[in-house]
This record gives sequence, C-alpha cells and structure tokens, in this order.
Amino acid sequence: MSWTRVRRAVIGLVAASVLYVLAAELGRGRLPDRIWLGAHYVENVQLLPTWRSLLEEGTFLIQSNILVESVVVSTRRVVLGLLLGSIAGILLGLLTGAASRLEALADPWVTFFRFTPALALLPLYVVWFGYGESSKVLLIATNVAVITFLGAHHGVRGVPRVYLDAAAALGADRWLQFRKVILPAAFPSILASIRVATGLAWVTIVVAELINAQMPSLGYLLALAGAYPRVPNMLIGLATVGALVLVFDLLALLLHAWGTRWMERAA
Amino acid sequence: MVIARRSLLWMVSLLALIGVYTLAARLVSRPDILPPTEEIATAFGALLGRGVQLGGGGEHAHHQHHPDSQQMETLLQEGVTLQAALAVTTGRVLFGLAVGLPLGALFGLLLGASRRADDYLHPIYILVRSVPPLAFITYIMLWLGHGEAHRLIPVVYAVAVTMVIPTYHGARDVAGKYVEAARALGARGRLLLLKILLPASGPAMVGGLRYSLAIAWMTAVGAEMLMAENGMGNLLVGGGMWSSRLQTRSDPAVIIVGILALAAAGWAMDACAKALGARLTRWARA
Repeated sequence: MSWTRVRRAVIGLVAASVLYVLAAELGRGRLPDRIWLGAHYVENVQLLPTWRSLLEEGTFLIQSNILVESVVVSTRRVVLGLLLGSIAGILLGLLTGAASRLEALADPWVTFFRFTPALALLPLYVVWFGYGESSKVLLIATNVAVITFLGAHHGVRGVPRVYLDAAAALGADRWLQFRKVILPAAFPSILASIRVATGLAWVTIVVAELINAQMPSLGYLLALAGAYPRVPNMLIGLATVGALVLVFDLLALLLHAWGTRWMERAA
Repeated sequence: MVIARRSLLWMVSLLALIGVYTLAARLVSRPDILPPTEEIATAFGALLGRGVQLGGGGEHAHHQHHPDSQQMETLLQEGVTLQAALAVTTGRVLFGLAVGLPLGALFGLLLGASRRADDYLHPIYILVRSVPPLAFITYIMLWLGHGEAHRLIPVVYAVAVTMVIPTYHGARDVAGKYVEAARALGARGRLLLLKILLPASGPAMVGGLRYSLAIAWMTAVGAEMLMAENGMGNLLVGGGMWSSRLQTRSDPAVIIVGILALAAAGWAMDACAKALGARLTRWARA
C-alpha cells in the first residue's frame, strides 16, 4: 500500500462526505417533508438529514445504550450462526468431496438446492423452531452452511489428481493425504466461501430479526426507523450494519491470508 | 451414455429423497411440522389454481385441503397462484439483472482498467457494498413512494455490487497483461475495449453473472417478504399486509412448495446462464 494510494483513498472518501453534506444543506427546505406512503401521509421527514441531526440522533442512540446493545445482540447471533453453519457446511463438503460415491448421490440435490434463497426458509423455521433465539441463529447457520458446503466440496474436488498420486506414491495413507494434501489445497476455496458467507449472514440477520422483533437488535432498529419513519435513525442503523459487515469482511480476509500462507511459501 | 447415466442417477436420487421424506413424515407424524407428502402435493395443486376452481372460493378449498391452514386460506382468498407469483418474481429478477449487470460490469471494468479510478473509488465502493440491500428498502420507499421502485432497486443494487468484484479481477489480473501487450502494439480506445479488455475479462464476468443470479433471487424474494403484495416472497409469508407479516402461523406445506418452485426456477436460470457463458467465452478454451 503506497502513500499515493492512501492519499487518494482519503481524498475519495472526504469528497464523498463533502458531497453528502452539501446535498443535505441544499436539500434542507427544498425536499418534501410530507410524504404519501400508499395509505397515509407521514410528516416531518428529513430525506437527507443534515450533519447536526445525524450527530444528535447518533449521540442519543449511543448514550441511551440502544445502539451498543443492539450491536452486541446482533453480532452474537451472526457469530453463532457463522460458527454453527460453517462447521456443518465444511464437514459435509469435505465428506462429499472426498467420497466420490456419496457425491454421485448428493450432486443432484446440491445443484438443485444451491438456488433456494435461504430466506425462504424463515417462515418454516418459525414453525419448526419457534419464535425464539434458535430460529434466527439457525436461519443464518443454514445460509452459511450452504455456501461453505459448496466451497469445501469444490475445494476438495479441485485438488489436482497428481498431488494425490504423488502423495500415495510416497507412501502416505489416506488420513495423511487428507491432512497434508487435500485440506491445505482446499483451504483457499473454503476460506473464500467463508468470506462470502459472512456477508450473507449480515443480510440474513436484517430479515431474521423481524421474527418476534424485540428491541436490542439491529434488524428491529432498522424496521422501527422505517416504520416511524425516522431517517437519521435509519441512516445510522445502515451505517452501523455496514461498518460491522466491513469489520467481518476484514476478519475473513485475515483468515484467508492466514489459511493460504503455504501458497506464498511455495511460490 | 454419460447423460443417460446422469439422468438415471437424478431420478434415483429424487425418488430416494421423496421416499425418505415420506417415511420421516410418517414416523414423526406431526403434520404441523412435517406435512405428509400427499398434503404437499395437494397444496401444490391448490396453488396452481385448481383449488379455486374446485371450491369456487377460498373457504371451500380450505376445507378440502388444509383443515387448519390459515396461510392457504389467505392466499386463495387473495387469488394468489404459484405460477403468477413465480412470474412476478422472475420479472423482478430479470429487471435487476438487466439493469444491474451492465452497471456493475462497467464500474468493475473502470476500476480494473484505470489505476487512478481504482485508488479513488475502491474505498467508497467497499463502504457502499457493505450495506445489505434488504436494509434500505424503507429509505427507498420514502424517496420514491410506495410502488415498484423499492422492490426493484435492492435487486439492481445487489446484482451490480456483486458483479463489480469478478469483473474487476478479470480486467485487472487477467486482461492486464493482454492490455499492456496490445497498447505496446498501438491499440487504443474502442479497439482496446472491445477486442481486448471485454473478451479477456469474459470468463471472470460469467462467473460473476452466475453468482449474481443467486443473489438476485435471494434479494427479490427477501424484498417481497418484507414489502410486496405479490411475488414468491409474499406467497411464502402468507399474504396479508405488512403489519401482520410473520404473525400468522405458516403452513409448512405451502412453504415447501414455494421453496421447491424457487429452487427449480433458480436452477433453470443458472443452466441458461451457464450455456450462455460457455458460448460467450468460447475463445478461452480455443
């Protein structure tokens, strides 16, 4: 990362925020504040909240502990879902990837069900697991499991035959082959799928938290902000979710870099 | 030979799954949790519109098929059919792809081809990309009113944002070398774009297209679950208005039918994308 890149990144971000502030100032008084929403009018809407109202709303949300608690609760659900889902998905993917007979049977269903939007399961999960914590976590876990399963499965399938033959020729038994050849070679694919899955987990939570929606949760914070509607609240909620997605993405990237160290060493 | 064996395997696998499910449903014998296979089949028939024809009204069909299915009752009263819902959602997905793919691909090409644009715009892109599309539906509604916009824009956004990264890597990592060589030979402007940059980033873009498809379906259904009076998402949450969403007790049979329909539609669309992609990137295997 050279200095030019950092400088340009900062210039780009500052320019974007200045543009927003300008638009908000220009829009004040000019944008409509009374909006028809299909069934009724809503009053006092700030379509582009100014700096000051964002700051006010932000300090209120932080001081009243609402934002922090919501972040903690939602993050906990996402982390749990990610852990459960990726463990199940990766194990299953490694299994079907390594055992070719299993794959032949599983393959039609893998190709078929990878296109089911996991959100569609939400009403079913409410019936199966109730309105509590488990249906939210399991919905995220399912979403994550599908993606990581595909990553692990294709990762194992993609290991060049030569590697395995070479290992076998050198006398490695199946377990050693799995540990020292298949697993490291499948790692990049698995880790890439984990990165995708972290993004999807946060998409899922926004909807999953509408199940028996209760206050400390980011999904309900957004839903409430939309129902009133309170735009500063809404934008702060969006920014918070965005920031969390960013943090998780960075963590996934770090994991990816750590898991693929062997590639750099080999090169 | 191979194709015949594959389809045979498909059939066996399909029958096996149905068999296992039927058995499991019978063993558990809790129709409110795992509805028996016959009930799913009748739900399928009713959702295709036959229930309405037979009963001449929601209530009749309701008695016929699902003794306690609130969801089915609402859906039939509102005249919702599976094929109509699927058509609406497919339309939204296609619109999202038609607008989102070129947007995302152009932005990705720009970032991949110009170092300067990459430096200035990539951080902004990362910030924007981090916002889940389903989270800003209400904000769009405030700007553009209660209409089609807040169901379409999330899909467009999701597709565009997903398409950027594969295109970017295609243009920067794969096409970069070719572009340099072509520049050295004197290629400029249109020639460079049409003959070098686009074809060379093609395979990566096709990968992105297939991934965008899955994301588009998910976003469209999610947006419909939250705020739409039609489409598959509406069918899944059992109709009704926004305030009562997710409050009525769902009928698992209806949801299973919906999921199967979505899986089939997504699968069919992906097969098309795969075939199209293979045609468009023939050069890569030549």
